[in-house]
Amino acid sequence: MLQCIFLLSDSGEVMLEKQLTGHKVDRSICAWFWEEAISQGDSFKLLPVIASPTHYLFQIVREGVTFLACTQVEMPPLMGIEFLCRVADVLVDYLGGLNEDLIKDNFVIVYELLDEMIDNGFPLTTEPNILREMIAPPNIVSKMLSVVTGNSSNVSNTLPGATASCVPWRTADLKHASNEVYVDLVEEMDAIISRDGILVKCEIYGEVQVNSHLSGLPDLTLSFANPSILNDVRFHPCVRFRPWESNQILSFVPPDGEFKLMSYRIKKLKHTPLYVRPQLTSDAGTSRLSVLVGIRDDPGKTIDNVTVHFQLPPCVASADLTSNHGTVNILADKTCSWSIGRIPKDKAPSMSGTLVLESGLERLHVFPTFRVDFKIMGVALSGLQIDKLDLKNLPSPPYKGFRALTRAGEFEVYNE
Amino acid sequence: MFPQFGATAESLSKASSLVFRIGSDAHLYDDPEDVNIAPLLDSRYDSEICEALKRLLALIAQGFDVSRFFPQVVKNVASQSLEVKKLVYLYLLHYADKRPNEALLSINCFQKDLSDPNPLVRAWALRAMAGIRLHVISPIVLAAVSKSARDPSVYVRKCAANAIPKLSDLHQEENASALEEIVNILLSDQSPGVVGAAAAAFICVCPNKLSLLGRNFRKLCETLPDVEEWGQIVLIGILLRYVVARHGLPRESILFSSHSTRGPSSEEDGVDHAVLGNDSSNVEGMTYESDLTTLLSRCYIEGPDEYLSRSGFASMEASGLDPASFTSSKNNEDVRILLQCTSPLLWSHNSAVVLAAAGVHWIMTPREDVKRIVKPLLFLLRSSSASKYVVLCNIQVFAKAMPSLFAPHFEDFFISSSDSHQIKSLKLEILSTIATDSSISLIFQEFKDYIKDPNRKFVAATVAAIGLCAQRLPTTANACLDGLLALTRQEYLTSDLGLMDEEACVLAQAIMSIKAIIKQDPASHEKWELCIILSMTSSQVVLFAQGEETETFKKILTYVLELAKYDPNYDIRDRARVLKKLLSCYISSQVLEKGTSCSSDNTYSQKLLVEHIFGGKTKSTSSMPINDRFYLPGSLSQIVLHAAPGYEPLPKPCTLLYDDLVQRTEIVQGIEVSGRRTTNSDSFGTNDPDTLSGSLNEESASSYGSQYSITSSDKSEDSGSASEVDDTCDSLIHLSDTGTSHNKPGEIPEENDSLSFSDELRGLMSERALESWLNEQSGLSQLSSSIQKFPSFARISLRDIADRVKPKTYTLLDPANSNGLRVDYLFSSEVSTISSLLLCVEIFFDNHSTESLVNISLTDEDPNQNPESANQVSEKHESSSIPSDVPTVIPMEEITCLQPGQMEKKILQVRFHHHLLPLKLVIWCSGKKHPVKLRPDIGYFVKPLPMDIEAFICEESKLRGMFEYTRGCTFVDHIDELNHEKDHSALTKDRFLVLCRSLAVKMLSNANLFLVSVDMPVAVHLDDASGLCLRFSCEILSNCLPCLITLNVEGKCSEQLNVSVKVNCEETMFGLNLLNRVVAFLS
Repeated sequence: MLQCIFLLSDSGEVMLEKQLTGHKVDRSICAWFWEEAISQGDSFKLLPVIASPTHYLFQIVREGVTFLACTQVEMPPLMGIEFLCRVADVLVDYLGGLNEDLIKDNFVIVYELLDEMIDNGFPLTTEPNILREMIAPPNIVSKMLSVVTGNSSNVSNTLPGATASCVPWRTADLKHASNEVYVDLVEEMDAIISRDGILVKCEIYGEVQVNSHLSGLPDLTLSFANPSILNDVRFHPCVRFRPWESNQILSFVPPDGEFKLMSYRIKKLKHTPLYVRPQLTSDAGTSRLSVLVGIRDDPGKTIDNVTVHFQLPPCVASADLTSNHGTVNILADKTCSWSIGRIPKDKAPSMSGTLVLESGLERLHVFPTFRVDFKIMGVALSGLQIDKLDLKNLPSPPYKGFRALTRAGEFEVYNE
Repeated sequence: MFPQFGATAESLSKASSLVFRIGSDAHLYDDPEDVNIAPLLDSRYDSEICEALKRLLALIAQGFDVSRFFPQVVKNVASQSLEVKKLVYLYLLHYADKRPNEALLSINCFQKDLSDPNPLVRAWALRAMAGIRLHVISPIVLAAVSKSARDPSVYVRKCAANAIPKLSDLHQEENASALEEIVNILLSDQSPGVVGAAAAAFICVCPNKLSLLGRNFRKLCETLPDVEEWGQIVLIGILLRYVVARHGLPRESILFSSHSTRGPSSEEDGVDHAVLGNDSSNVEGMTYESDLTTLLSRCYIEGPDEYLSRSGFASMEASGLDPASFTSSKNNEDVRILLQCTSPLLWSHNSAVVLAAAGVHWIMTPREDVKRIVKPLLFLLRSSSASKYVVLCNIQVFAKAMPSLFAPHFEDFFISSSDSHQIKSLKLEILSTIATDSSISLIFQEFKDYIKDPNRKFVAATVAAIGLCAQRLPTTANACLDGLLALTRQEYLTSDLGLMDEEACVLAQAIMSIKAIIKQDPASHEKWELCIILSMTSSQVVLFAQGEETETFKKILTYVLELAKYDPNYDIRDRARVLKKLLSCYISSQVLEKGTSCSSDNTYSQKLLVEHIFGGKTKSTSSMPINDRFYLPGSLSQIVLHAAPGYEPLPKPCTLLYDDLVQRTEIVQGIEVSGRRTTNSDSFGTNDPDTLSGSLNEESASSYGSQYSITSSDKSEDSGSASEVDDTCDSLIHLSDTGTSHNKPGEIPEENDSLSFSDELRGLMSERALESWLNEQSGLSQLSSSIQKFPSFARISLRDIADRVKPKTYTLLDPANSNGLRVDYLFSSEVSTISSLLLCVEIFFDNHSTESLVNISLTDEDPNQNPESANQVSEKHESSSIPSDVPTVIPMEEITCLQPGQMEKKILQVRFHHHLLPLKLVIWCSGKKHPVKLRPDIGYFVKPLPMDIEAFICEESKLRGMFEYTRGCTFVDHIDELNHEKDHSALTKDRFLVLCRSLAVKMLSNANLFLVSVDMPVAVHLDDASGLCLRFSCEILSNCLPCLITLNVEGKCSEQLNVSVKVNCEETMFGLNLLNRVVAFLS
C-alpha cells in the first residue's frame, strides 16, 4: 500500500508531503528523484513506475505538477497510478485548475482532501460527489465570508448520507427546482494517415457525458439505436451490468452533476471529415513544404478550430512559412502550428514555404508528423445514435437535452 | 538608487496577488511563521487555533520539523469544532511516532469521541487513534476496532477495516488471531463498501489464511461487482488465490494446458494452436509459445526466482506439476462463478480493476474464452499515459505467450507521436511479437513511416523491431534485408559529415538486425554479405565483422581494413589498426596451420581473444534475458522485473484442503444451526391468537427465557435448570457474555478477556444492541489496564409484567353532555378477525343517571350507508384486504336497556381513515343523537410481532438509514415507583428491575407491542442505568410491515432518565408518528 504522497512543483520543489503509514518516507527521496529527472531527461519523467534505491515510486505529471507516491511493498501499480490520477482530477475540480500557486494557496484543502481520499495507504473516499459534501470546495462566496466573519471552516459536520446507501455515488435527498438532464456524446477521432495518403487507422473514442440535476432517486434508462457498432465499452460504477449484458441498455441511478457515464470505442471507420496533404521536397540545402487542408467527407456541420501542429526536424536551421488562410506560428523549440479556424467553403486553405537546412546538409532525410486538431459541433461522427432516455421515480417530467460533438484525438498525418 | 521605489513595487505586487488570493490560505503557506504560533494554539477562539494549526501544517508541508508544538496541539484534540479536530489529527498523525508520550494524552479524547453519536466523529477518532501506532495502546485500539467493526455506520466500519493493517503493522503476535477474527467479521459484512476495505485488510494481516474465505467465497463473488473499485482490485486477487489453493489450476487454460498433457507432443500442440491462431503454419513459433506458457505458469506458481534457480532452463518438463493439482474451469462451480463475476469488471472505468480482472481470466479461463480480455485491455490504452505504460508491460507478456491473441489487433499498437519513448518501444516490441504473415506487410508500411521520424532513438528501436519481425517470420527476411540495406546506405550518405551519436545508433542497430537475420539462414544470405561490407567503411565494420569464416569474407575484410587506413577520420584509422593487429593471426592462421603450428603462446592467446570477440562465443552469456522473468499479471514486480518485497506467487495448487474448510465452517455454523433449531422449535406460538392477544404473558416471557440457548447451545441445559430454579424469582437475569448463566440478579460476572475471540464469543457479541454500543462505557477509559474488558450485558426477563399492563382509558362521551350516559373506550390489543384495517376498541357504557337508558348504539356519522356495506363485508371475509370494502364501523349490537349504575362493555371494530385524525361517530341513546369523536391511538395500529433478539437485529439491520428515526425524551415514572416501593416493601428490590419494569409497562400499556428483550449493562455502579436497552417489535396492521422500537437509557436509576427512542420502520410517516407518540407518552 502507498506510504507517502509528495506534490512537486515544476522546479522540483516539494510543495506538500502526506505521510500515510507509520513507515515515514524521508523527503530526500524527492531530491533523488529530481536529480535523476535532470540527468536522464524527459524520458525519466514519463516513466510511471520507478524503482529507486529505497522505494518504488509511482508518478504522474499534470500541468507541471508531479504527483509522486511511494511504496516499499508489492501492490498493483495501476492502483497507485489510477489513484494519483483521481487525486489530480479532484484537485482540478476543487481548485479550478492545477499549478504551483493553486496548490500552495489551498494547501489546507489539499491536505484535507488527501486525508479523506486515502487512509493508511488504501483509498477511502474517492467519489467526487461525496467529497464535495464532506469538504466544501473553495469559492468566491466562502472566501469572502471567511474574510468577513473570520470563520473559514470547510469541513462538514456530518457524514454524507450516501456513504451508507447502496448508491454511494449519489447524495441522498436531493432537491432541484427544475429537473433536467443533459446527455452529450463527445467523440474523439484517432486516425493515422500514411505517407501514401492511405487511411491506416481511423477510430472513434467516445464518451457519454451526462449532466444530471434530478431530484430524489431517479432511475434512468438510456438506449442506443445502433449499439452493435460499439467495439469496446467501459462504464461508470452506477451502470448496472445485467441490462447491458442482455439488451445493451444503460440502466443507472445517476450521480448528481456532471459525470462520464460510459466510454466507448468504435473502430474501422472509413472516412475522415478532413484531408491534410503535406508535401516536402528537398533540393540543395533547402526544402519546400506545402500543406493542403480541405473537407473530404462533409459531416453536414461546420468544421471548427482546425489547427495543424508539427515539429520541425532538428536539422532545419530556419523556416519561412505562409498561409492563404489562418495564421502560422513557429516557436523557439521549432514547434509549428497553423491555426486555420473554420474551413472556408470557397477555398482550400494551404500553407507553404521553405525550410533552410543546416549547412552541409543536402536534403531532408527525416520528416515531421502532422497532428491535426478540429472540432465539429452537433454531430457524432461514429454514427452512434441515442434512441431514448427514460426516467423513472421522478416527481415531475424533467427536461431532457441531447448534444453531440466530435473533435480530433490522435489524428496524425505522415507527409507524402 | 531608489530603494523606496523597489519597496513600493514589491508591496504593490504583493497587494495585487493578495486580491486574487484573498480568503485562501496563501499567506499561511508563504509566511507560516510571521506570527508567534504558540499563543494562538492556546487561544480561546477556534478560529485562532485553526489559523495556528494551518500554519503548522504549512510548515509540515514545507518539510520543517514543528514537533515542538506537540503538547500544545494535543490539548486541542478535545475541541468541539470539527475543523480544529481534523487539523489536529493531521498534525498528530505526522508526529505521533516522535512524541509517543505526549500522544498518549489524546487517547482519552479519542475514546470519548468513539462514543459520539456523529459517525463522522467516531470514524475520525478511530482513524486517528489507530494511526498513532504505539505498542502501549494497541489493546485499546484493538478493542476500539472490534467495537467499530460492528458500528451501525458503514463509513465507520470501513475505517475499522482500514485500521486493522495499522494494528498489524505493530507486529504483535498476540493480536494476530484477534485481528483475523475482525477481518473475518468485516469480510462477511453486508455492505459492499466494507467488504472492499476488509479485503485490503486481509491482504495485510493474513494473506495466506485463505481458509477464512471458505464460507464466504460465493457471497464475496456475488458482491464483487458492487464493491467499490479499489476494493475490487484487491478482492479479485484474493479470490483468485483462494480458487487456486482450493481447487488447483484449470487444465483448459492457455497456461496450464501443456502441463496437463504431461509432456505435450508437438502434434497435439499444433492442433490446439491451429484452432486458435490464424498462423498455424508457423510451427516453430508455436513451440516457442508453448515453452513460454510453461515457463509462465511455473513462474506464476513458484515465483521466477525460486523456479529458475531450482530448475534452470533444461529441466522444465522434468518438474511438471502433479496432475492432481488441476481442475476444470468448465466443471468446477467455484471457478465458473469467479469467472462469471469478474467478467463485467472488464468494463470498469478503473484501469486497475480491468487489469486485475483480465489477470484472473488469463490464468483461469479456458483457452477458447481468453480472447474476451483482449478488447478491454486494448481499450485501456486510451487512458492516461502512465496507465498505458503499465498496461503495455502486461500486454507484452500476454502477447509473448500467446501472440495469436493480439495478432488481429496490431493496429492498436501503432505509434502516436505523443507517446513517450518507453511506450513507443514497448509497442514496437509487441508489434514484432504479434506480427503474422498476413499483417506484416501493413506493419512494415507503418515502420517505413517511423523510420523517417526525427527522433532517431525511436528509429533505432524501429529498426530493431524490423529485425525481430524478420527472425520470427523467415519468409519476410528478404524484404526486411532489402529495407534495412537501403536504410544503411542512406544513413551512410547522410552521415557523411561525421556521425551524430543518434545517427550512429540507428546505423549500429540496423547492422545488428541485418546480422541477426543472416545468422538465421547463413547460406541463402551469403550474397548479401558482400554488399553490406562493401557499402561500409566506418566503425560499424567492427560490429559486423564476425563469424563468417569463408575465404571471400576474409579477403573482403582485409580489403576493408586496408581501405580504412586511408580514411579521413582518425578514429576509424585507429580502429582499423587495432583490428588489423588483432586479426593478423586470424587472417593468417589458416596459412600457418598448413605449415608449422602456432608456436608462441602469445599468438595463441591472441587467437583465443579473436575467437571470443568475433566467433560469436560471447553470445548467450546471460542464461535468460531479463524480460523473460514473469510475475503475476498486474503486479508491481512484473513492471520492475524483480520480486518486490511482499510479492507472493500463486499459492500451491490444492493446498487448501477441504478438511480445513469444513472444520472452520463447522465452528461457525454450529452457532447458526443451533440458532435455527431453536427458532424453529420455539414456543412463541405465532399461530395461536390467544398468545398474541396478551401483550406479554407468562408463556412468551418464559419462552424468551430459553432464548439464551441460541447463542451457546452447550449451555442450554444450565440455562434451563436455572430458569426452573428461578421460577419463583421475580425476574431472571441472563448474563450474555459469560459461559455460565448467573441467577442472582445484579451479580457482577467475571469478565472475559477481550483479546481471545472465541467463535462462541463472537456469536454472543453479535447480540449486542448496536445502540447500547454507542453508549457503552466499556473499560476503554482505563488507560492503565493493559487488558481490555468487554462490557458485560445481562439479559432480564420480566415475568409478571403482563398483569401490570393497563391500557389507558379515554372518555368518549361525558355524562354531563348527555343525559347521564358515560362512554369510555380503550384500544384493545386484540386483532380484528374481519379485516386487517380494523381496530378493536373496547367501549364501556355506564349509566350515571337515575333512569334506565334504552336503545343505545354507536354508529358511523353517516348511517345510511352503514348496513349495506356492513353486510357486504360480513359476506366477503376474504376480500377484506381491499380497503374500499371495509366500512368505517362494524356496528355493535344495540344495547336495548341500561339500568342505572349498570355498565356494559362492547367491542367495536373501527377503521380509521388516518392514524392521526379522529373519527366522527354518533351515539344514539333513548332516541337522542350525540355526535362524538373517537381519537385514534397510533400505538394500536400495530399488533405484536413476536421475534427473538437475533431476528430483531437482523430485521433492524435491514431498516437502516432513511428508515431509522430517533428522538430523545426524559422518563420519570420510575421515581414514584421507587419511592413507593421504598415505603411499602421491606424487601428492597433491585432498582434496576423496577426501572425496567416501569419502562416496559409504560410501553406496553400504551401500544400494542411485543417485548423482545431487556438488556442491561453490568456496570460498576449499581445505580448507573446507562446502557440499559429495551427492544420492542410490532407489525403495522394495515400492511404487515415490521416496526421495531428500541429504547436506550442514559442516567441514574434514582434520577430522571434520558431515554433515546429509536424506531425502525419502512413506512416513513407511520414510523415518525409512532416515534412521536412513544416520546409523548413516555415523558
